[in-house]
Amino acid sequence: MKNERPISQVPRPVLALLALTLCLQIGWQASQSRPVARADALEAPPAPPVLRALSLGEPIALAQLMTLYLQAFDNQPGISIPFMELDYAQVTQWLDAILELNPAGQYPLLMASQLYGQVPDEAKARQMCDFVYRQFLRDPDRRWRWLAHCAIIVKHRLKDPQLALSYAEAITREARHASNWARQMRIFMLEDLGEREAATVLLGGLLATGEVTDPKELHFLTERLKKLQGDEKPSPATRN
Amino acid sequence: MKSRAATIARYTLLEALRTRLPAIVLIVLALTVAAGFFVEQIAVTEGVRFRTGFYAAAARWATVFIVALHVIAAVAREFDDKVLDVLLALDLPRSHYVLGRLAGFAAVAAIIAAVACVPLAWSVSAGALAQWGTSLAVELAIVAALALFCAITFTQLVPAAGFVAAFYILARALTAMRLISANPISGADVLSHQVMGVVVEGLALILPGLESWTKTDWLVNQPAAWATLAVIVAQGALYIALLAGAAMFDLHRKNF
Repeated sequence: MKNERPISQVPRPVLALLALTLCLQIGWQASQSRPVARADALEAPPAPPVLRALSLGEPIALAQLMTLYLQAFDNQPGISIPFMELDYAQVTQWLDAILELNPAGQYPLLMASQLYGQVPDEAKARQMCDFVYRQFLRDPDRRWRWLAHCAIIVKHRLKDPQLALSYAEAITREARHASNWARQMRIFMLEDLGEREAATVLLGGLLATGEVTDPKELHFLTERLKKLQGDEKPSPATRN
Repeated sequence: MKSRAATIARYTLLEALRTRLPAIVLIVLALTVAAGFFVEQIAVTEGVRFRTGFYAAAARWATVFIVALHVIAAVAREFDDKVLDVLLALDLPRSHYVLGRLAGFAAVAAIIAAVACVPLAWSVSAGALAQWGTSLAVELAIVAALALFCAITFTQLVPAAGFVAAFYILARALTAMRLISANPISGADVLSHQVMGVVVEGLALILPGLESWTKTDWLVNQPAAWATLAVIVAQGALYIALLAGAAMFDLHRKNF
C-alpha cells in the first residue's frame, strides 16, 4: 500500500488555506525592511571566562561566530562611514576576546590592521595599531605581518615615523621567524618612500614569498595590491 | 463538527495535565529560578537585572524545548498506538483532528507561558511582563504548531525533534545570517556566495523572525511598543494558520 494518497484527496479548503497563508507569509516578510546593522547596537562582549564557558568546549567555533558577528557591524556599503561610527573601545574588546578564544586565528588582526585601521580618524587608527602591537608581542612569529602593515599606516597616514620605526624594530627584534624582507623593513622605514610604494612593497612581499596561502585572503590582498598599483594619484613623499 | 475539534482540544489539555508535563515545567522553571538567584549572588552590581535577564533567556529556551518534545511525543504515541487510526475510523474529518490538537496544544503553550511569567512578577513592571508573556505564548504556540506538523509528517521522534530544533535556531539566527551574508568584505561576486545569499533571503521569506520576539531587553531595559506586540500576535496567527494548513495537507495525504 502506498504511504501517500494523491493531492486530489486533499480537500480544497485545506489547499486554499495552505496556499493563502503561504502567500500571505511570503508577502508579509517581503514587505519588511531588510535588517540594518547599527553601530550603537554593538555592545561589549562577555568576559573571556564567560565566553569559554559559553563555547561548550568549542572556543574556535565561537571565536569564528563572534568574528562574523562583529563583521556584520562594519560590513556595510560605504565602508568608512560605519567603521567611523563604531565605538573602537568595544571593537578592541571584541577583537581581544576573539583572539583569547582562538589565539592562532589571524582574522581579528586582519580586521584591525586592514579594515578598522584604515579609517580617516587618527585616534581610532592609532588605537587599532596599538591593539595589533600588543597582540604582536604575545605571538611575534605568527603576527608580524599585521604589525608590518600598521608600521606603514603609522608612518604615512599618522605621520609618526618614530612609532613606525619602533614597530619595524620590534619585528626585527621579536619575530625571529619572520621573512627577511620584513625583518629588514626598518631599512625602508628610514628611506623616503611614499605610502603607496611602501605598501606595495609590503603586500608584494607577502604575496611573493608565499606567506599567504588561504585563497580568499590571497584574493583580498591581491585586490588591495592591484588597487594600490592602479591608483593614478601620486601620494606625497614623506620626509624623515 | 466544531464540538469534535473542541473535544479533541479538551482531551489534549487533559493529556497534558495527566502526564508529567506540569511537574516537568515546574521543576525546570524552579531550577531556572534557582540558577537566576545564583547568578544574582555572584554579580557585583545590577544583581536583579542579571537574575531577570538570565531567567528570561533560560526560561524561553527551556519552555520551547519542553513544548516541542511534549507535542511530538504525544502525536508520535498516537501514531505508534494506532489511536489515530481508530479516531479516523470514526466520523471525524482529518482537518478537525488537526484543529482540535492544535487548539489544545496552543492552550498548553499559553498556560506554560503564564507559569513562566510568575517568577518575574516581583522584579519587572506589569506592562513589560504582559508583553514578554504574550510574546512567549505566541512563540510557544508556533513551536507547538510546528511540532504538530513535524510529528504528522515524520511520525517519529528523532527526525521531528531535529527539524523543530533546526527551524527554531534558524529562525532565531536568521537576521544575523542576513547581515553577515549581505555585504562580504571580498568574494561577493563568487557564485557560491550569491547562491547562499539567495538561499538566506529565501529562508527569510518563509521563517518568522523570532529573534525580535520575547526579548529580555523588554524586561531589563525598556518595554516594547504595543504596536510591536500587535505585529507579533498578527504574524504569529498567520504562521500558525500556515503550519496548520501544512499539517492538514500532510495528514490528508497519509494512508493508514
